[in-house]
Amino acid sequence: MDEITFDNNWEQLGKYPIQTEHDIVKVRQLVRHYAKEARMGIVEQTRVTTAVSELFRNMYNYAGGGEVLIERGVVESKRALIVTCLDEGPGIEDLELAMKDGYTSGMGMGYGLPGTKRLVDRFEIQTKVGKGTTVRIMKWR
Amino acid sequence: MTAKIEFENSKKRIEHIEDVLSSVAAGDLDVRVETTIEDDLTGVEEAINILIEDLTYELKQSKKMREELEEKLSKIEEQQNTILRQQDDLLELSSPVTKVWDNILILPVIGTLDSQRAQIMMENLLHKIVETGCTISILDITGVPTVDTQVANHLLKTVTSARLLGADCIISGISPAIAQTIVHLGIDLSVIRTKATLQDAMIYSMRKNRQLVDGKIKTEHAENEEIEN
Amino acid sequence: MDLALHEKKIPIIKIHDFLIVSIQVDMHDKLAIQLQAQILEEIEKTGAKGVLIDISVLEMVDSFIGRMLSGMASMASIMDAAVVIVGMQPAVAITLVELGLEMPGVDTALNMEKGIEMLQERLDSEFI
Repeated sequence: MDEITFDNNWEQLGKYPIQTEHDIVKVRQLVRHYAKEARMGIVEQTRVTTAVSELFRNMYNYAGGGEVLIERGVVESKRALIVTCLDEGPGIEDLELAMKDGYTSGMGMGYGLPGTKRLVDRFEIQTKVGKGTTVRIMKWR
Repeated sequence: MTAKIEFENSKKRIEHIEDVLSSVAAGDLDVRVETTIEDDLTGVEEAINILIEDLTYELKQSKKMREELEEKLSKIEEQQNTILRQQDDLLELSSPVTKVWDNILILPVIGTLDSQRAQIMMENLLHKIVETGCTISILDITGVPTVDTQVANHLLKTVTSARLLGADCIISGISPAIAQTIVHLGIDLSVIRTKATLQDAMIYSMRKNRQLVDGKIKTEHAENEEIEN
Repeated sequence: MDLALHEKKIPIIKIHDFLIVSIQVDMHDKLAIQLQAQILEEIEKTGAKGVLIDISVLEMVDSFIGRMLSGMASMASIMDAAVVIVGMQPAVAITLVELGLEMPGVDTALNMEKGIEMLQERLDSEFI
């Protein structure tokens, strides 16, 4: 998987901490707002909002919180809404297992990552045990 | 003495030329080198004026061309938007959801289903279910020869989503090829009701409908019987 | 945008044998857990035979709330009360299925009226 970089020419829409449950609700509503602004359809809006809600909760539950970066940019010549979640938690030991699709058998390891991946157009993850996890998702129209 | 005056004059004229050139460089194309005396320098001065004229003309031309290009570009963009919109319209037209009976919706699908069309079809059907309040819908795919795994997935997703809304979705007219694809997906089929033909699906729906609509009468009847016994 | 989230309790209304709950806010996790406990307590207190949970205004149901709802149905069921989830939006249903939460065993209804009919029928059929 490509490394997650931060020197992209994307327009930053905001940077928010996820420290409380209220933050989860507040920031996911902001993401929906930006999805609406990008003129995504109602189903697309719901998909991206749900996806970030899953990621925010992971940060809150497993890493004691983190930070969210919301950006807008052009990826593969498509206008994309980009959400990056950064935490300094324990990281994921077996990423392959965590990404294993549990479509019929439930939610895999409990991070819900395969389900989240299905909701977005691009899903990137980078994790280091003891250092933290960065997840970036992209959604385009 | 005259040589010195001439030299002073030339210096002034060259300074004037410099001023004009820097004005031109700054974008002012209305300035010209002014001259009253005819000598060796006059040729240079005139040449500069001609150059400025040419430059003005060229700039005007290129500005005009750019404007034309921009206009064409915006026209093309507009056309593209129209095409995209028409594609959307077409996709919507190709999934006509119809209420055929009290409480029953039908979506006949004809032709090749790609992922995008399957997606729009699913959204349309679900919206129509909510809008009409019909609890039974039939997704007839007799007219669909084959599907890939992604489309098969969409079909199954439609049925499961409909259930979450509180409605039954019956799939009818599954061809052998589609049956193979669906089974290969390895998805639990016990939740999905399939009927061989649209007719079978219709008969099933009507029966189920009667149960739903006349349910109360039936239970009352049953109660009466119980009392009689 | 209204971001105000107050620690308000979600009202539970009792009509005949049924409890009616209408979720009108974007719930955070604690509120969802609190609601679950609240409904179970109410079932015990009132002896209600059914619970209708209206989620028609919810724009999003993620895995947490999804699991809370299906857990709710199982818990109520062993307390002898049936749960019906009412009015889920199409976009929410599609997203839940894609997320892998198909909520098997949870009863659903298109609207409140159909939900009540469903529960009433079930209740009636028990005494035939």
